[in-house]
Amino acid sequence: MTVVLDAVSKSFGSVKVLHELSLEVQDGEFLVLLGASGSGKSTALRMIAGLETVSEGRISISGQDVTDALPKNRDVAMVFQSYALYPHKTVAENIGYPLKIRRMNRAEIESQVREVAAQVRIDELLERYPRELSGGQRQRVALARAMVRRPSVFLMDEPLSNLDAKLRGHMRAELKHMQHELGITTIYVTHDQVEAMTLAHRVALLEGGRLQQLAAPKTIYEDPENLFVAQFIGSPPMNVAHGRLDAGTFVIGKDRVVTGGTETVANAVIGLRAEDCQVVPPEDGAIRAQLFANELIGDHTLVTAKVGDDMVSIKAPKEFEAGFDEAIGIAFATDKLYLFDKDTGARIRRT
Amino acid sequence: MNRSAMQWLFEPPSIRDMAPGTKVIVYAILTFWTAFVLFPIYWVLITSFKSAIDVNSGPVYLPFVDFQPSLHAWKELFVFDFWDTLSAYVNSLIIALSATAASVIIGSMASYALARFEYQPRFGVVFMFVLVMVGAFVAVGRYGVDWRLSCAAGVAVFYFLARALGRHFKARLGNGDILFWMISQRILAPIVVVVPIYMMFQQVSLLDTHIAIILTYTVINLPIVIWLMYDFFTSIPIDLEECAQLDGATRFGVFWDIVLPLSRSGLAATTLLVMILSWNEYLLALFLSTSRAQTMPILVAAMNAGERGILWWSMSVVIIVMIIPVVILAIILQRYISKGLLLGAVKG
Amino acid sequence: MRPGTPRAAPSIGARERLSDWIDRHSAQVFIWPAVIMILVFSIFPLVASLIMALSRIRFRGGTYNVRFVWFQNFEKQLFGSEQFHFLGTFNGLGLLGWAVGLAVTLLIAWLAISYLRGPVTAVGLVGRLFTWGLSLGLGWLFAATLFSGHPFGTLGTTLFYVFVGCGLQFVIGLALAFLCSLPIRGRTFFRVVFFIPLMITPIGVGYAFRMMADTTKGPFSPVWQWAGLGDFAWAADAWAARFFIVIGDSWQWIPFIFVVMLAALESVPRDYVEAAQVDGATSWEIFKDITWPQVVPVAATVLLIRVIEAFKIVDLPNIMTAGGPGIATESMTLHALFAWRSLDLGQSAAVAYLLLFVTVVTCVSFFNLVVLRRVRA
Repeated sequence: MTVVLDAVSKSFGSVKVLHELSLEVQDGEFLVLLGASGSGKSTALRMIAGLETVSEGRISISGQDVTDALPKNRDVAMVFQSYALYPHKTVAENIGYPLKIRRMNRAEIESQVREVAAQVRIDELLERYPRELSGGQRQRVALARAMVRRPSVFLMDEPLSNLDAKLRGHMRAELKHMQHELGITTIYVTHDQVEAMTLAHRVALLEGGRLQQLAAPKTIYEDPENLFVAQFIGSPPMNVAHGRLDAGTFVIGKDRVVTGGTETVANAVIGLRAEDCQVVPPEDGAIRAQLFANELIGDHTLVTAKVGDDMVSIKAPKEFEAGFDEAIGIAFATDKLYLFDKDTGARIRRT
Repeated sequence: MNRSAMQWLFEPPSIRDMAPGTKVIVYAILTFWTAFVLFPIYWVLITSFKSAIDVNSGPVYLPFVDFQPSLHAWKELFVFDFWDTLSAYVNSLIIALSATAASVIIGSMASYALARFEYQPRFGVVFMFVLVMVGAFVAVGRYGVDWRLSCAAGVAVFYFLARALGRHFKARLGNGDILFWMISQRILAPIVVVVPIYMMFQQVSLLDTHIAIILTYTVINLPIVIWLMYDFFTSIPIDLEECAQLDGATRFGVFWDIVLPLSRSGLAATTLLVMILSWNEYLLALFLSTSRAQTMPILVAAMNAGERGILWWSMSVVIIVMIIPVVILAIILQRYISKGLLLGAVKG
Repeated sequence: MRPGTPRAAPSIGARERLSDWIDRHSAQVFIWPAVIMILVFSIFPLVASLIMALSRIRFRGGTYNVRFVWFQNFEKQLFGSEQFHFLGTFNGLGLLGWAVGLAVTLLIAWLAISYLRGPVTAVGLVGRLFTWGLSLGLGWLFAATLFSGHPFGTLGTTLFYVFVGCGLQFVIGLALAFLCSLPIRGRTFFRVVFFIPLMITPIGVGYAFRMMADTTKGPFSPVWQWAGLGDFAWAADAWAARFFIVIGDSWQWIPFIFVVMLAALESVPRDYVEAAQVDGATSWEIFKDITWPQVVPVAATVLLIRVIEAFKIVDLPNIMTAGGPGIATESMTLHALFAWRSLDLGQSAAVAYLLLFVTVVTCVSFFNLVVLRRVRA
């Protein structure tokens, strides 16, 4: 089912936390709302759920305007960060609760609960209480409860962030598989860019209550709209160095990088992904730098170096070795570099 | 006594244990208090098995040793006066249970509402309401206007005034003010309100009925329920309630399925307290019942009426029988009591 | 592999039914029953009672006749023919009376001056003026009655029940709770037994204590005889009667303080106590320095609740002494009840209103001076 947000805004008193957010979520799509805390992503989700009123704009689900509808009439299911399992109900009662409210008969509830429980592999836990479950099991129960009524839309508010790192990776994969199988439209809120990149069909990156970019993970990684997106996505984040753009040539200290464009910008930023750079002898590099530290990660060595006042990270082969403060050069292909206007944060596309 | 003996007596041998001397003192005090608590009850209990002669000829302490217990007081109440006793007992049960249920439900709802919804009544509207009410009273009291007319006119006047002028008042009250207003009703001594309540029920011919006493008890206990339950409700994670709403429950469904079960310890303690207060209430029952709706405390007090003086034995029987339902309820609810009472009281 | 059969058409944004309308307005639905009940059975009677207190009401052949007399009823209680009943008998101040009166005046003057030196707010000043005025009045009231050897009225008796009774109950209840929080055997037993008196109807407590106190037929009569007090009728002695009522009231209400304070003591985190034990503190030191500061908020609240309820005392004096000897044990509620019995509704309402006034000023002062100060600290 599709979900459409049309210029939705939210204010708490005089504080505007969401500015004219417009989104169109396709049927069966997995959309991730990504942003730091305070970016308005959770507010947006809660407005879709009906837990917050909408200050301006319209929300519709499956073509029906639900802006003012009660939460229970929106046919959405939500998984909370805290899982929100009812502590006084057993796992089976928790999962069956949405059906019980819809006055389904008991036998049918039981069969549906069993079916869903088997899907998320918690069939042995049905008689237990939430307090007797581990974090991962609770997570599955919360999922099962959302799945059991086959809603039009799944809403998930940081569902994995209460799990430890190892389990989180595992659940992420399961979640992705499950969504694919069920084919239910899912809107997923997270602050974790890895979750966003791995799970989403499309990512909506929010900052300060404004939509920064809405695109597929690959696009958002390879073709960021602005400096904020570029620096938010990627691990390590995109390297930036400050300088000026002089008729298509980026000037940084004594180094000059020919970018292939023709723009002139006084305050410009050059961006490079760690994996697009190579460490070379100082005289061979496009930019000269001073080595700050190098860390062996396993399959590669992460080299941190100083370019002017900026720190950059470079992925070097694991055999790489160099001493502190040694001068190095950084080499890269011209088509891998990104240029931004420092003042507006906007991307400067080479013409 | 030399120093080491003192040390042995009063210095704790280990961190988890007390010194023998301290222990003896503690147990002595507790045992004394146990006796102080139990002795009057024991005395009432044996008095219920005494005959008039046993009571009037000076104290006798031990059944079978000092005196021959007799069942005549019990017989009198449960055989000869069976219907009177039964009717008072049933009245008391109906009234206490209904009033407890009503005040716990209505009070919890209000308390939950104050914990979860936001209210902003305009100060001016509230003030107008008070003015209109006083006006209505003066009309009835001073100028002899019919009370029904006065009520209807008051409601109408208030409605139109509020519609017409309400928007112009800017000052608003908040949830805290409403909560304080409700809880502060407990300060009202029953004697302040009982005569007007008596007259109200007289006007609608409900004096000496269950419903009159139930309504009155419900209201006097509402502040306790609201007070004790408020902190339980605010401490429930709001995620649970939102989740239930998305699962399809109405606000009342959320309240009934999620909120009440999660605050059951507070509910148990509150129920017990309200039940004790309504079951034992005397003053209001004295005003509002004359014969048909008489409750047990009135029956106890009535044992003083005869020319023969106080019927100690019969009265003792009634006191004993009166304790039973409360004890049963207390046993059912006892494991929640201390915890429940505390949480409400801590934050006040 | 979608589970189950495909679901029926979704009901998104379906036309709202009545239940949805109610759901939307649940904020109103939840609170109005309580508001209406309080308005009808509490506020309404409160205003009606005020009007009665300002009227003279006479019964004539089944109907009653109401005449508005402004403050005549109050005047009668405070300055007129009922003064002895409500305030007590004034017959010149004795030496002790003067001393106590002056001491109270100086104390309040000192409090007032030390407050006025600090930051003064309008609400705070008005509230304090009330409290100071009332305290001053009560101080001189007791100076002129109790301390000058004259009997005091129902106001004094009620305050005696409230302050002596609540003080006694609080100290004993707290002490018992402290003892029961120590590591001893049989705590559950003591806890259950100590709770019992709360469950007994106050009327029953009144009669039971009347039996207890009987010097000829009661269980302690041999003791009385032995002490040569066999003929002593405690109900005929004003102070003995008052103390017996306080003892009966305490027997009933100590459990309430005990239960709440025990729960409070037990909820103090164990590690604080254990840390103090390791440091070598004694049980008493632990209580004084660690436990007590943690339970003070609960103590203040429970005492406030108890004071509110204590002002309403009526069952015990009614049953144990019927207010006697004379009016020595008559509480204000009982005073109002007797006035009602004699069909003097105006006086009854006036006394009730005076009770309300004293209760409110006491409770608000207590709340502001004790509870709020603790909260702020």
